[in-house]
Amino acid sequence: MTSHQFTLASPPTDAISALKFSPDPNSARLVVSSWDKNAYLYDLRDENGKFGEGKLLQKFEHRAPVLDVCFGETENEIYTAGLDWDVRKIDLNTSEQTVLSSHEAGVRHVLYSREHKLVISASWDSTLHIHQADTGANLESLPIIVPLPSKPFSISATATKLVVAMASRALHIYDLKALALLTAEADSADPSSNRVEVEPWQRRESSLKFMTRAVACMPDDAGYASSSIEGRVAVEWFDPSPESQARKYAFKCHRQTGDDGVDVVYPVNALTFHPIFGTFASGGGDGVVALWDGISKRRIRQYQKYQHSVAALAFSASGQHLAIAVSPGFEDGHDEVPEGTVKVYVRELGETEAKGKSKSAK
Amino acid sequence: MGKKRRGPSLEELLDRPWCYYCERDFDDLKILISHQKAKHFKCDNCHRRLNTAGGLSVHLSQVHKEQLTQVQNALPNRMGVDIEIFGMEGIPADVLKAHQQRVASQFQQAELDRQHATGNPPTGASSGGQPAKRPKLEPVSELKKRLAEHKARRAEALAGGSSGDVTPSSAVQSTPTPSGYAPSPQIAATPQYSYPQPYGGPPTAMTPHFSQTGSPVYSSYSPVGGHQIPGASPYTPSGYPSPFPVGLPAQPPVSYGAPPYHQQQPPPSDNRFMGLPAASSLPQRPAFAVPSVNAHEMQQMHMGHVPPTPAPSGYSNGSSARPTENAFPVDNQISGAANDAASKTEGSSKPKKEKAKPAIRMIYNDDTLSPEEKKAQLPRYAYVPDKSTQTVLGEIPGNAIVGAIQDSDTVIDPAH
Repeated sequence: MTSHQFTLASPPTDAISALKFSPDPNSARLVVSSWDKNAYLYDLRDENGKFGEGKLLQKFEHRAPVLDVCFGETENEIYTAGLDWDVRKIDLNTSEQTVLSSHEAGVRHVLYSREHKLVISASWDSTLHIHQADTGANLESLPIIVPLPSKPFSISATATKLVVAMASRALHIYDLKALALLTAEADSADPSSNRVEVEPWQRRESSLKFMTRAVACMPDDAGYASSSIEGRVAVEWFDPSPESQARKYAFKCHRQTGDDGVDVVYPVNALTFHPIFGTFASGGGDGVVALWDGISKRRIRQYQKYQHSVAALAFSASGQHLAIAVSPGFEDGHDEVPEGTVKVYVRELGETEAKGKSKSAK
Repeated sequence: MGKKRRGPSLEELLDRPWCYYCERDFDDLKILISHQKAKHFKCDNCHRRLNTAGGLSVHLSQVHKEQLTQVQNALPNRMGVDIEIFGMEGIPADVLKAHQQRVASQFQQAELDRQHATGNPPTGASSGGQPAKRPKLEPVSELKKRLAEHKARRAEALAGGSSGDVTPSSAVQSTPTPSGYAPSPQIAATPQYSYPQPYGGPPTAMTPHFSQTGSPVYSSYSPVGGHQIPGASPYTPSGYPSPFPVGLPAQPPVSYGAPPYHQQQPPPSDNRFMGLPAASSLPQRPAFAVPSVNAHEMQQMHMGHVPPTPAPSGYSNGSSARPTENAFPVDNQISGAANDAASKTEGSSKPKKEKAKPAIRMIYNDDTLSPEEKKAQLPRYAYVPDKSTQTVLGEIPGNAIVGAIQDSDTVIDPAH
């Protein structure tokens, strides 16, 4: 209500697949990947450095719909992944695109680990590709390929862990340090045999009964939240001790009771943690965005419903903004996307708007 | 004196303060006001709690230079900042009326359900809030007439074989006066109604059901419902010679416990349905039992979702403002109505137990393919390899593309 909200000028023309803020707290850059085969770069600040409508700085055309995008080491490089099976690095200054690796199917997710300087991509060919980012000019270096038991649907990383949520409710947690070491070794080893079976640090079964839709790690490296197509979110902790595992829970959300008493259940498409308060936001097919305090198990607030499904969410690194990607027909898979329905909203958050109720929450 | 009363009476429910913005009700006004301050009139910027939406608006514009556009945490059609609400003050009359109707019908349904489930007489009947302290006299002719009728009915019931009125006989001995309905003393007790004690047995046992239908909600009904309150009003000697107090519509004395009602009276297992339609003066009463409305459904209805049952009169304004209409198309409502109709025909033995485990309908229900994979299969998203002219439709042909891409590690997008 009182928080300020605006829509980005010149949004993508087709459904949005992902949206990320620059990891640099002083940056107001935002990248959006879309099914219209483009990755878009926006800056929320105008010439005078004031936050406003935001403007489109650049867009990068791909050969196929772009399914994910992330910033790299600085706000001047991004990585994209898409249906053309490639993982690309794009230098924003020169607009040069470099294919880092190619999967054998569409690439659903890409993320960059700043701590370990790794580019990790997850594809529907049931593999992870892990690439060292700081190889400099050495483009000969090939990624290691980590086979997965099922198709990955969502990945998320903390400083030390990588969580991969897959089909058949499987979930692997990898130790990023081990992956980094393996990647470094693989580069020096025979390039033909860079397919590496990696034993995950933990194997888990999803706490949710239905297909995992999104997973997001807590910024304090303690655990993660996952969501399913059946309007539910689970919060779990990494620590395998029974006490920590006893803390895990799941709750229903993004549902509506119809007039006939039938609960209409929407998929929870997006989860993202607030970088400072450790609270998280969920976005559902019902067009609702809610903020949750995972520690005290409370809903902090729920925003006014948007017209269409919420496809992606991102907090800015400073925690002052929440970007909300709204696109229609995402779930049906056959709906046309009418013009003017795809929007990116940016909410300027009040100082404590996303803050949890308990002061003890980190 | 009697059993414990179960739950609050309708009066008490109607008296509960409730929040205009979110339809929650509260134990007392203080709590309501603090709820409104915390939920609806709180400033997000500085956590200050204001008393009213107007106050918050002024605060926002003066302190934070912002404009209040809507009340937070409010139902979609209640977000207006122009209405000044404080506690229960300021609620528009039509909204208030709609709310009361809602509460009343909910209460009645709960009552019916409980009655049906337990087989007990309605609240207040057996506990007999106020048994007639003083016997009231009835003209001898009346007595005789009623006795005759009663006997006739008894005989009839026995002959019908369905005399199985399992209503506990405890209900029989006490006055059938539901205590909750006491206040409306302007309709003085007509003598012919009083003195039910001699009439033990089925007819009196029926009366609880009958009087229950005439609860105060239906104000149009109350004039004829004078019989509800015999115990409450003092016996007025002046009224004695004439069976009809002044102002009471000309109503034959026999109407109380008149044959039509009792002939209609089915075995107890059905009376939850019969109870309501008996009040024929109610135009809006649907033909079947009012569906139980839980809090959420109630909210939905107030938000403007037309329930399958006809909407009460004061309610039409609710549908005027529905800016953020949620995804319930009309066909949902239709199917809802159909469902209700279906469950009605299935018989009364299926009370609304679905509430415990509601049926769910998942918007996306494919446990092997993610929405993105499905979308990726659409022809318009098919990947066009290289810059060759051939467009790949449908399934992505694997091998050709693998070859094409893996040749080049570096691709500078040629076209753009």
